[in-house]
Amino acid sequence: MNDFAWLKLIGIVIVVVGLALRLRTTLVVVAAGLATGLVAGMPPAGIVELLGRAFAENRFVTLFIVTLPAVGLAERYGLREQAAALIRRFAAATAGRLLIVYQLFRVLMGALGLRLNGHPAFVRPLVYPMSIGAAASTLGVSRFEDVPPAADEKIKAAVAGAENYGNFYGQNLSPVQAGVLLVYGVLQGLGLGVSIWRLVLFAVPVTALSVILGALQFRRLDGRLAGGRDE
Amino acid sequence: MSELARSLFSLEAVYALTGAVLWVFAGLTFADRGHPRRVGSGLFWSILGVIFAFGGVLPHLVTGLLVLAMVALDGAGQVGRGAAAGGVASRRLGDRIFLPVLVIPLVTFGFAAGVRLLGGDVSRGALVGLGVGGVAAMAAGLVITRGTARELMEEGRRLNEAMGAVNLLPQLLASLGVIFTAAKVGDLIAGGITRVIPGDSLFLLVLANCVGMALFTIVMGNSFAAFPVIATGVLAPLIIRPFGADPAMAAIITLTAGSSGTLMTPMAANFNIVPTALLGMRDQYGVIKFQLPFALTIWALHVVLMWLLIKFW
Repeated sequence: MNDFAWLKLIGIVIVVVGLALRLRTTLVVVAAGLATGLVAGMPPAGIVELLGRAFAENRFVTLFIVTLPAVGLAERYGLREQAAALIRRFAAATAGRLLIVYQLFRVLMGALGLRLNGHPAFVRPLVYPMSIGAAASTLGVSRFEDVPPAADEKIKAAVAGAENYGNFYGQNLSPVQAGVLLVYGVLQGLGLGVSIWRLVLFAVPVTALSVILGALQFRRLDGRLAGGRDE
Repeated sequence: MSELARSLFSLEAVYALTGAVLWVFAGLTFADRGHPRRVGSGLFWSILGVIFAFGGVLPHLVTGLLVLAMVALDGAGQVGRGAAAGGVASRRLGDRIFLPVLVIPLVTFGFAAGVRLLGGDVSRGALVGLGVGGVAAMAAGLVITRGTARELMEEGRRLNEAMGAVNLLPQLLASLGVIFTAAKVGDLIAGGITRVIPGDSLFLLVLANCVGMALFTIVMGNSFAAFPVIATGVLAPLIIRPFGADPAMAAIITLTAGSSGTLMTPMAANFNIVPTALLGMRDQYGVIKFQLPFALTIWALHVVLMWLLIKFW
């Protein structure tokens, strides 16, 4: 290995610095690819050719575009409102229990391959108001405006957390979500072909752990709210 | 007949279909007079449509140049979303509105199961099933909502433009992984790590793999960007190949070790910082602080789980 081999890491430096500086991600990634190829001594046309081949071979990662018309149409005719009504039917007695249910709902959506923009679509308009309502009754106050600011802040953080836990660990249960397909594509590129179903299978233990850990944390939130009642 | 069925239900056919959908999106964008980035966006999605429809037959050099053209358009800020906000129709359909959306996973799974029964490639079956499911869902949506084809495609375009060029990031990152592999970047990283960690110490290598994945994700705010680097530099050369670990198991656990990092970083602003603003929190880092004990615990469990599964299974 010669002394300049380390220069090949330039691509990784470009990705890290570029994304950390919030430069346009597509530009950063392609610049990193071009720079890596050049430093490795590939001819420019060869790099572009390799990029083209890799991009064409990985088209399946972006295949979900074909599902957008149906999802968009359903949204126009009330998909989100109906999903909100569905969550409301599970109205739970305490904030923590509600968040356990919401995390499970989010895992289910991920497993079905559905992409939701959860924070603006569900967390803010629906799950937070429901949680604060449940917390008000736990705390024994009649109006949710009377929930102490510290408890309110805690509940807000927990609602956002439930969304993230459910989203991040639930989506790998679907064979057609971006994360699983990215892993499938990268492994293929490395000559380690696997079945996407096997990837889904091995996502199950971590998803189960995420549900258990989330439930423990949300139950503790309930405990704290109930404990704070007499203070 | 079976030859016709085979080409009709092939991955290339589904790619061609996706290309056609993208051209319709692009056509609607070109026709949208109020669109602030009408020409740039229209071109961007048309080019992607060409790559989807013809990527299997175009010379790779041409495809590569088309990718560069798309990235240039996006880099110049010429790709954006239309002004038209998604209105909501007044007709209410109750729970029936879930049907078109549920058709997608049902057909995907059903198709894959059918392919399995026929002894085909189940991965390919799921992908083709996704395409068939997308079409079936469009049909189901039109029947159930009694909406128009124009509404259908306009709504699809709205969702597509709302996500924008970021849609392509996973595909670009998978391509970056291919370039890293060709440039032997992975060997370089692997060589560096084995100078510090003995190559026969499975636990330390698993630890390095998961630390690396989480750290890269924390810095970049994106586990998808970290994965190709760690997979080519650590996971494949130092863990999967020498220890004969199941690639699917080791890879998906590595990916979610990165998700633990996503929960800890303000760089993943959409997930961790934007919600504090949406919810009107006083502490900008309140969500991250709440997630921290969860993230550290589940990360540590990743290390243990991967080590146990390789060692004893």
